[in-house]
Amino acid sequence: MSALARLGQRARVRPVRWISALGLETLLGGGAVLLFVLVALAAPLLAPYDPHAFSGQPLERPSAAHPLGTNDAGQDILSELIYGTRISLAVGLGAALGTVALGLLVGAVAGYAGGPVDTLLMRLVDVMLTLPRLPLLILLAAFLGSGLTQTIAIISLLFWPVTARVIRAQVQSQRQRGYVRMARNFGAGPGYVLRRHILPAVAPLIAFGLVAAAGRAVAMEAGLAFLGLGDPTAKSWGLMMRFALNLPGLLLTDRWLWWLVPPGLCITALILALTYLGMGLEVRLQPRLRRR
Amino acid sequence: MKSRISAYVVTLWIVLTLNFLLPRLLPGDPLSALLDPESSDYVFDAQVRAALEAYYGLDQPLLAQYGAYLKGIVTGDLGRSIQLNQPVGELIAAHLPWTLLLTGTALTLASLLGLLVGSQAAWKRGSTTDRLLTAASVVAGNAPVYFMGTMLLILLGAELGWLPLAGGRTPFASYSSPLAAAADVLAHLVMPALTLTLSLLGIQFLLVRNNMVGVLGEDFMLVARAKGLRQARLKWNHALRNALLPFVAHLAAHASLAITGAVFIETLFQYPGMGRLIFEAVGARDYPVIQGVFLAVALIVLTANLLADWLNTRLDPRLAEEVGR
Repeated sequence: MSALARLGQRARVRPVRWISALGLETLLGGGAVLLFVLVALAAPLLAPYDPHAFSGQPLERPSAAHPLGTNDAGQDILSELIYGTRISLAVGLGAALGTVALGLLVGAVAGYAGGPVDTLLMRLVDVMLTLPRLPLLILLAAFLGSGLTQTIAIISLLFWPVTARVIRAQVQSQRQRGYVRMARNFGAGPGYVLRRHILPAVAPLIAFGLVAAAGRAVAMEAGLAFLGLGDPTAKSWGLMMRFALNLPGLLLTDRWLWWLVPPGLCITALILALTYLGMGLEVRLQPRLRRR
Repeated sequence: MKSRISAYVVTLWIVLTLNFLLPRLLPGDPLSALLDPESSDYVFDAQVRAALEAYYGLDQPLLAQYGAYLKGIVTGDLGRSIQLNQPVGELIAAHLPWTLLLTGTALTLASLLGLLVGSQAAWKRGSTTDRLLTAASVVAGNAPVYFMGTMLLILLGAELGWLPLAGGRTPFASYSSPLAAAADVLAHLVMPALTLTLSLLGIQFLLVRNNMVGVLGEDFMLVARAKGLRQARLKWNHALRNALLPFVAHLAAHASLAITGAVFIETLFQYPGMGRLIFEAVGARDYPVIQGVFLAVALIVLTANLLADWLNTRLDPRLAEEVGR
């Protein structure tokens, strides 16, 4: 085969290889997440009304002016739905950063220090993982009060152990590697070794941890709002479902079709997008799984 | 096993202490607000207020409060509900059976189906059925359980009218026979249990399938196949038995997930269990009930964990050695 033909073949193969390198799951999940991010950013341009404005009569049916009708207060449901993206993503991002930051801190310290510090921290992780999450979440939300900041803080406080355990295992295995030992023998301090040698090895796990934590956080935020434990002023998807279900006789008319189902579909779609992105990343990070 | 039990004792102590400290240390002092005439949470009923004061003992030093709290738990005194003016212990006793019925039914069904369908899908891995089931399981296991419940509610309850929309049984019903009563409870159980089963099945299917696929690649499977064993024997006696271990190891986590799901499902279907109880207590700022339910659920989850650990060491002797060290 001539060099030119080989080059041509490579050029033709490239886009396919790019997809298979990232994985279909990563691309689909990532693409969907990106779409949600764009909607959140462009919410003022996309939404026909201010979601808090009383732009129509209460409980209007879908029309050209209100594509998904209005809620019982006369607010445009489509606008609520579009602005709701911002809340889900804000909590998802905030709680993901919080969860991973805490998990990274505890995991790195435990994995690097070893010995009694490691034992103590990992016992704490075990205890945290055994605690029933949702009842504890409800207890905390009931006593801390509801607001988006509190929601983010509560989710971060409850979910960091999952990340900490993964990070700790990786840090521990890296610490035993020859090049890390050598750096330490040359007098490198823990800060330097962690930053220069261990962080790069842990970075892919952080990426996966962020996506997984964001997925859990989005689900938890929607769930808390659905239970009435979220920020009552933030019009999130969970709260929309709650308000819709609170309307007496909602299920006896066809109102659920444009009021209840769209926010439910949005929550499900965002969670699934993050799940698939996470699954795709996990397979990339652990090639062992690829055979399955 | 001994070290595991001591770990559980420590966890239990942390749960008890957390439950005691949280309302007392958090900003805003929610408990004092109940007794403060200036606050919006002020309890107007003097009798209830007196019971609250006696239960929380906020005028005593913290350590004395802690002692009284622990003593109350040992003797089964969990305080009185502010809203319902009933002992919290009685409320929990009335609601717990419903939650156990719901989660027990769903967990049993999902486990049996998960093992059966999961191992079958792994056996035919890569087939269209396997791919479809796997995709459906990812959706069922990750979609919010209250949204799945809502869809079932609309379809089976409102549109088709096959099943009752809410509650644990028909209100004010008088039954001609115990059988009719059981049929009524069952009719009310179907939708909540179906929702929870689907959600758990999604997770358990993936777990069983992936474990089984892993086992099928092991050398001993090749040997068993080379010996010319029958398919059924290969599948059930060799592959599934080994794929069972991680499944049992995850049972406690699944029980915990079932309780989480039950909180949402009971809220949605107005099912009279613990989830509904804690949900209504949160709405009314009924702190003794919130704390009591948290404690009861934590105890159940811890017990489930301990049982699963024990079962695991019985099934897999390698674990017993490791844990016993």
